[in-house]
Parts: sequence; C-alpha cells; structure tokens
Amino acid sequence: MSTPTLPQTATRPVSRPLSGLMGLFRRSPRTATGIGILLFMVLMAVFAPLLSDYSPTAGAFGRLEAPSAEHLLGTTALGQDIFTQLLYGARLTLLIGFATGLIATAIGTTLGVSAAYFGGRVDELISGLTNVFLVLPGLPLLIVASALLRGAGEGAIIIVISLTGWAWGARVLRSQALSLRRRDYIDAALASGETPGRMIFREMLPNLAGIIAANFFGTAIYGVLSEATLSFLGIGDVSVVTWGTMLYWAQANQALLAGAWWWVAMPGLGIALLGTSFALLNFGIDEISNPKAAAAGRLRAVKRERVVAAAATGPALPINPQALLSIRNLSAGYQTPQGPVRAVRDVSLDVMPGEFLGLAGESGCGKSTLAFAATRLLAEPGEVFSGQSVLSGRDLLKLSEAELRQVRWKEYSLVFQASMNVLNPVIRVREQLYEAMRAHGVTDKAALAARARELFELVGIRESYLDVFPHQLSGGMKQRVVIAIALALEPKLVVLDEPTTALDVVVQRQILEEIQAVRKRLGIGIVMITHDLSLLVEMSDRIAIMYAGEIVEEASSQALSGAPLHPYTRRLMNAFPPLDGPRERRDGIPGRPPSLAVDLPGCPFAERCDSVIPGLCSSHKPVLSEIAPGHRVACFLHSPQQWPSHPEPTLQTSSSAKEAAHALASD
Amino acid sequence: MAYIARKFMLLLFTLFVAATINFIMPRLVPGDPIGAMMAKYQGKLTPDAADALRIAYGLDKHGSALQEYFVYLDKIVHGDFGRSISQFPAPVSEVIAGAAPWTLGLVGITTVLAFLIGSALGLYSAWKRGTRLADALPPIGLFLSSMPYFWFALLLVYVFALWHSIFPLGGALDNFIGDSWTPKWWASLLHHAALPALTIVITAAGGWLVTMRNNAMSVLSEDYLAFGRAKGLSEGLILNRYVLRNALLPSLTGFGIAVGFVVGGAIVVEYVFSYPGLGYYLFTAVTALDYPLMQALFLMISAAVLLANFVVDALYAVLDPRVRDGVNA
Repeated sequence: MSTPTLPQTATRPVSRPLSGLMGLFRRSPRTATGIGILLFMVLMAVFAPLLSDYSPTAGAFGRLEAPSAEHLLGTTALGQDIFTQLLYGARLTLLIGFATGLIATAIGTTLGVSAAYFGGRVDELISGLTNVFLVLPGLPLLIVASALLRGAGEGAIIIVISLTGWAWGARVLRSQALSLRRRDYIDAALASGETPGRMIFREMLPNLAGIIAANFFGTAIYGVLSEATLSFLGIGDVSVVTWGTMLYWAQANQALLAGAWWWVAMPGLGIALLGTSFALLNFGIDEISNPKAAAAGRLRAVKRERVVAAAATGPALPINPQALLSIRNLSAGYQTPQGPVRAVRDVSLDVMPGEFLGLAGESGCGKSTLAFAATRLLAEPGEVFSGQSVLSGRDLLKLSEAELRQVRWKEYSLVFQASMNVLNPVIRVREQLYEAMRAHGVTDKAALAARARELFELVGIRESYLDVFPHQLSGGMKQRVVIAIALALEPKLVVLDEPTTALDVVVQRQILEEIQAVRKRLGIGIVMITHDLSLLVEMSDRIAIMYAGEIVEEASSQALSGAPLHPYTRRLMNAFPPLDGPRERRDGIPGRPPSLAVDLPGCPFAERCDSVIPGLCSSHKPVLSEIAPGHRVACFLHSPQQWPSHPEPTLQTSSSAKEAAHALASD
Repeated sequence: MAYIARKFMLLLFTLFVAATINFIMPRLVPGDPIGAMMAKYQGKLTPDAADALRIAYGLDKHGSALQEYFVYLDKIVHGDFGRSISQFPAPVSEVIAGAAPWTLGLVGITTVLAFLIGSALGLYSAWKRGTRLADALPPIGLFLSSMPYFWFALLLVYVFALWHSIFPLGGALDNFIGDSWTPKWWASLLHHAALPALTIVITAAGGWLVTMRNNAMSVLSEDYLAFGRAKGLSEGLILNRYVLRNALLPSLTGFGIAVGFVVGGAIVVEYVFSYPGLGYYLFTAVTALDYPLMQALFLMISAAVLLANFVVDALYAVLDPRVRDGVNA
C-alpha cells in the first residue's frame, strides 16, 4: 500500500470506548440496521402467541375483511387473521432461512476448506463440482426436484435448497483458505506436527470466520427467497404457514382481483425486509473483515471537526523564495471515528532546486503522510488541517482542481511506496506512459513514441516491454516503469516514497544508481522517504529525521552521520548497519512511538529517550532551532536557551535518569 | 486461447451433468412416476400418452439402467424429448420451440438492461459518494434485490393493471392481433411486455447496483487510482479507464452466477403474467406432472444460462489481460 496507512493507534479506541448497539451503529449503521430488523422478526416469531389471541389457521372470522382495529391487517378469503398468520409465518420462514443458511454454509465450508487444504486431486474434483453447481440454474432445478419430491415436507425442501445453494460459499472459502494456506504460520503449525483436523479447526477456521458468517447470511437470503418462490408456485407443503404459503393462498384466492391488497402486501414485505436484513449483515461483516473497501466510504460520514492547530505551534516561518518546495507549518492527518489523528504536526521544510533530500524515521512516524499532504495527494479519510506547501511560488494547497491537474506531473511527480499496485492492471504500460504525457499536452504520436523509448532506455528496460500489461513485469521492472513515468515530463521535483523497499538488494542498488544519474543530468530535486538511514546518508545532500509527526533534526548528510545531535537520530543511526560495513549486532530502539491521536505537552521522544531531563522533556516542547549552520534540532540538550527559567530543571544523565527511561521504555 | 477452450469444456461438462441429473432425479423418487401420473389423470391418460411416457423414460425397452442412460443421452443429442403429456400430442421440442422466443426476448433483454442500469447506478453511487442521492442508493438496491420477483410483479399488477388499467393483466399479445411484425403487433407486444420487463429490471438492477458500488469502492482505494490522479489525468478518464474498467471485471464474474438466479426469478414472473415462455410452461408442466416437458425445459433453461455464462467468460477474457494469460487476478 502506498497510500499512507493509518497509524495503529487510530483503529484502537483510546479515549472513548464504544459499547453496545449504539457504538455498533456509529461504526457500521448498516450492520446495526440489519441486526435491528432481524431481532424484530425473531421477537415476532417467538412471542407470536402473546401478540395474538387467534389461531393462524382457523377461519373464524368474516372473509376478506379490510384492516381494522380488530384485525390489524384484515382477514383472508378463508376468514383467517392475517396479522396472526404473519406472526406465526415468521417462525417457519426464519427457521427455513437459518437452516438452509447453516446447511449450505456447512457444505460450502467443508468442501472449500478441504479443497484448499488437501490440494491436488481433491482440489480438482471439488473445484470441478463447485464450478458445475455454480452455473446450474438453481431455481429451475429446485422446481423440478421439489415437484418430484412432492409432499415430502419442509425438511426435504430445506435439504434441496441447501444442495443448490452451497457452491458460491465453497468457491469463496476455497480461495480464502488457499491464501491462508500459503502463510507462514500454517507452515509453522504443520512443522510442529499438528494434525489436519486440528490445523483446520484451530488455525484455519477462526481466520475464515468473517467470510463464513457473511456466506451464511448470503445463503440464508437464497433460502428464504427460494422457499417463498416454491411455496408461491404451490410446490411443497402449502398447508403450513410461512410467508411464502401466505402468498400462495392469496394468489390462489385471487386476493388482488378482490381488492384485498393487504393480503399480498404484508408477507412479501416481510420477506423483502428479512432479505434486506440478511444482506445488510452480509455486507456489514464484509465491511469489518475487508476494511479497505469500506474505508473510503464509511469514514466520510464522520463528523468533520476542524482541528485547531495545537497551542504548541512553532513560529510561523516565512516562505523561502530560493527553495523549490517550501513547506510551512503543515499539519495533516486522518479523521477516524475515534477522533482526528494528527500524523503530521506543524512541519516546516525546504527542498532546494536540484537537491536530494532524505526523509527518515520509523514506520508510522508520518513520513508518507507528509509527502502526500504536501503534494496534495492525501485521500479520504486523510486531511490537511493547516499550513502551506509552496512549489515554485504557488501554494499547492490553495490551487483549484483544474490548476492542480496542470501542475501535477509537469512540476512534480511521485513514485509510490508499493509500485506493485500502482499500474492499472487492464491497460498496457505504453498507454499508461502516454496518458501522463497526453494529460499535459503532448499529443503527437511520434513524439510520444520517441519519448517512451527514451525513458525506457533511461531506466534500463528493453523497449519491447512497452507493449506488455503490468502483470507481465517483475517487481523491479514495474518499479522502473513507474520511475520512467515519473520522469516523463522532466518535473522539477520527484518524491520517492520508499521506492525500493520491496526489492532485493541488487535491484535496489541498480535503481537507486539510475535515479542518481538521472537527477544529476536533469538537475531535478528529489525527496526520498525511507526508514533506511544508512542508504540516505550515502545518497542525499540533506536529511530530515521525523518522529511522531514532527521533524526532530535536519542537517547535511555529512553532519548528520558524523555528529547526530538528537538522541532519536543517534538511536536510529545505530539501528541500521551501513550498506557496505561489517555485519554486527544492532540495537533496536526500546519502546514504541506515542499515539498520534493525543497531543503531547512535551518532547514526543521523552518516554524512550535515555538522556531525558526529568521535569522538562515530558512537560515542555523543544522547538526546532539552528545549532550550527544548516543543522537544526529540536532537543533541550542542545538548546539550553529554550529552558524555562522556572522551575529550574536538573540536567542529569546519571544512572537514575537512565533507569527511569528504561523502566518507561520496557512497559 | 486455452482459457476459452477450458471454459467451453466446462460448458459441455456442466450440460452433461444437467442431463445426468435429469436422468437420475425421477429414478430417485420413491414410487413410480408413471404410476403417480396415471393416478393423477385417472383414466384420462390415453394409451398413446402412456406410451409416450414409457418411451420418454425408456421404460419400453427393458435394459439395464446404464443402457437406458445411453439411449436417453442419444435421444437428447438428437433433440428428441418425447411427447408432452399436458399438450398431448405435441412433441416436447415443438412446445419448447414455441415458448423459447418469448423467454429469450423478455428475459434476455431485461437481464442485460438490468445489468447496465444497475451497474451504472452503482458506479454513480460510488463515484459521488457523500452526496445524498448516491448514499441513499445502496440501501434501496439491497431492498429491491431482496424482494421476491413474483411479489413485486403482483404489486405492479395490482397498481397498473387492476387499479389503473394501464397495462394488461397478462399474456404476450392481444387476441386476434392479426399478422406478426406489423406496427399494431409490435405495440401490443410491448404493451404486454411492459410490466414483466419492469419487474425483472427493477428487482435485478438492485443487486447489480450493490455489487458495482462495492467493486467501485474497492477500486477507489487502489493505489493505481491514486497514481492516475497524481499523473494529473482528467476525472473523466479516471472514471472510465480506471474505475469503470476495473470495477466491471468482478461484476462480470458474478454475472454468470447471477444469471441463473435472475432466470429463476424471471420464470416465476412469467407465471404471474401468464407470459407464454419457458418458465410459464415449466410451471404448467410441474402442476400437470408432465415429466417429459419438465425435464426438457430444465435442460433448455440450463443450456441458455450456461451459454450466457460462456459469453460472459469470453467477454471477460477480452477485458482482462490477466485472465487471457491465465494469471489469477
């Protein structure tokens, strides 16, 4: 994923735990509505005898009476109370829905998981069977089968419906189970001598629970609708009361001709609502187990609370007119149901023309969010809260959509984190390259073709690969194609978001060397984001270190590697071996970064810092300030002038302070 | 074109399975189907009809079950389904030939129409998410697709045929309409087809709407879409080349499965409107215990659905390069 992922803390309710149906309703109104309808119908069915004094079958009243206080929904042509029939009909209708759902899901799960687990011949056989049942038209088969089973009762109908409805579940579960099967922990469990039964029930099924549940509701709809149809056609036992048989009797007695629309309307409405509730639950579960599809839509409903720039905002710096990109006091983040997450906090940064700027920090520190926010690519639920991002004199954050489209790619381009998925899978590579150029006025065919050849040569791919589809390229080649597209219009700025993380070291090397060569030749400015500091030291002119949404240190590459000032930078330097250095044991940084959902009064690193100054760091915020020419750092250790005069903190890097820091870190 | 070949083999094989189910099912029923029919018709079954039945079930030749099976398959391949009982002495193939065009016309056109309308609305709903109309569409779609087809048909009948006599109650044409293909004939045809078509389009479109919206929503969160935007492509290009083309693919996969379901629902719609298509005859065959007709209809409906599936699979291969190369998308 290249779109910046939400920090872990965003999905965990920190301050306001949601509970009960109301909480569920806020998170997923669909699911809650589904549960509500279903609950209502179950209550109807269970308490039928309490809700009505009449018998559903006895024809004790006048025929075809219109709805009245006595008969809420009128009576049938046989003098039965329709309201009572509706209550009792819910019982069998629900039972049939649940039973077919259960049986069909059980068959589907068993076959799907077995196919995935055993593979080989078993898989071939089951998949073949599934494919056949998937395309055989269910209802005609049901009609014929039920006609032959005439008079065999509802039990037989349930079985037959289940037998025609399992295939979709089997197919979905097979493919899901297959992808589970390929994961490491399954291999680990196998290696430790787990039996197939334990494997399937202990390891695989719990991970498939969401899909199994969604499938249950899907087949339950099928069951309810099929039963209703069969009953309506008079196939099956029409002497029992279900919403389907109610419709059969209504039709058989020509209720509509007699004007008794209520007799037809209510049972059908019941079926439609029950089906809707099952479908809502089906999608609700899908939403929870597949948050990707839901994220784009659901979070939009969250009430917008404009985040006021935190009180601790640093001084408003003027825009640097010499800079290619000048980011000023930028705050950005995500709107989540638990409240806003500020992933980028009051960041100011300059990129000079032709400069290679490295941006480093642990995962989740806001690097990618910064890059996306500054280039105005942050998608929902991401949002820029405040600040400026001035590229060649124009604030990108203030441009209209049309102006933005003009500037994009021509002035700056982006290479996304996971280039594996950034190419449109159904369009040829050549077209995707042309698209970018056409969007910016290059329409001449010969010019396009010539430029395409040139670019591919530049990134070291054979010209013939222009005419393939993305899936025909390896990871490294895709990355080169994306870089070629990024260079197509010779922009002044290229942002590389972890461009080589997914690649092996050799390919990584080649690509980075090509980027360097192209940069020197064309004089483009580059911002490269990575967590690999040693790589940056080697390649960049200047490096900025990010921690918990803030820039904590910024210096030339030599200064930073030679004399890192911020304790976090020092730890980060120590965490990565140099690319060509000897292999040695490296220290991680104990502890975790603070949640970005809360505003910290002090230095964000205080909790993990082994040079923490008690009484100062965790309650006062150090401001980024220039210590040496071009070297800025936000740390009280290096800017005593920032210390508040009262109360006087005690500077000590003694053992007691270190112990305190370690105790905190090991929590 | 290994992919197309594989799909064609599946088509043939499934057809074979359908025929086999057809052969086995009556034999699994407790008791003798012909005995049941004789009882039902109580002497009204002419000797000719009884013979037709025996021939239909291969009961005239007393071979082994396996021999009967091969005779049965041979007859099917030659289009010989025996004689109908309810429409005696018309051969089953003749009854089907008369009914098939009505179903193909009604169900074929409305299914495609429902797919197009539903998908377009689903795409709109995803693209314009956050606006009131776009966000109201999916719940409506869920409700529409959860309605029993026949129930919605009944409601339409009540409102538009009984209450306001705008459309006829049923049938496919007015009586004594005269020659086919005249303007008058067409008008009558459309007049009769309006309500059944409306039923199928509205109920089926709901499902496509929800499917398309979900697909489009997951495409909207894909990296390639953000990359397309970053390239400065126009919104129209993004919608068409990126969202539509990619979101349509999973919809098509579902199409094959859904076609079976839609056809099932459409059959009942034909019954409600007494529309003289395959579904209507399937219902008559079931109530009249007309086994030869019932079985042949099941086979025909299956064949139509399978063919639709095959066409969709072929289309899929045209649209998705990954499928052409046998890569799992």
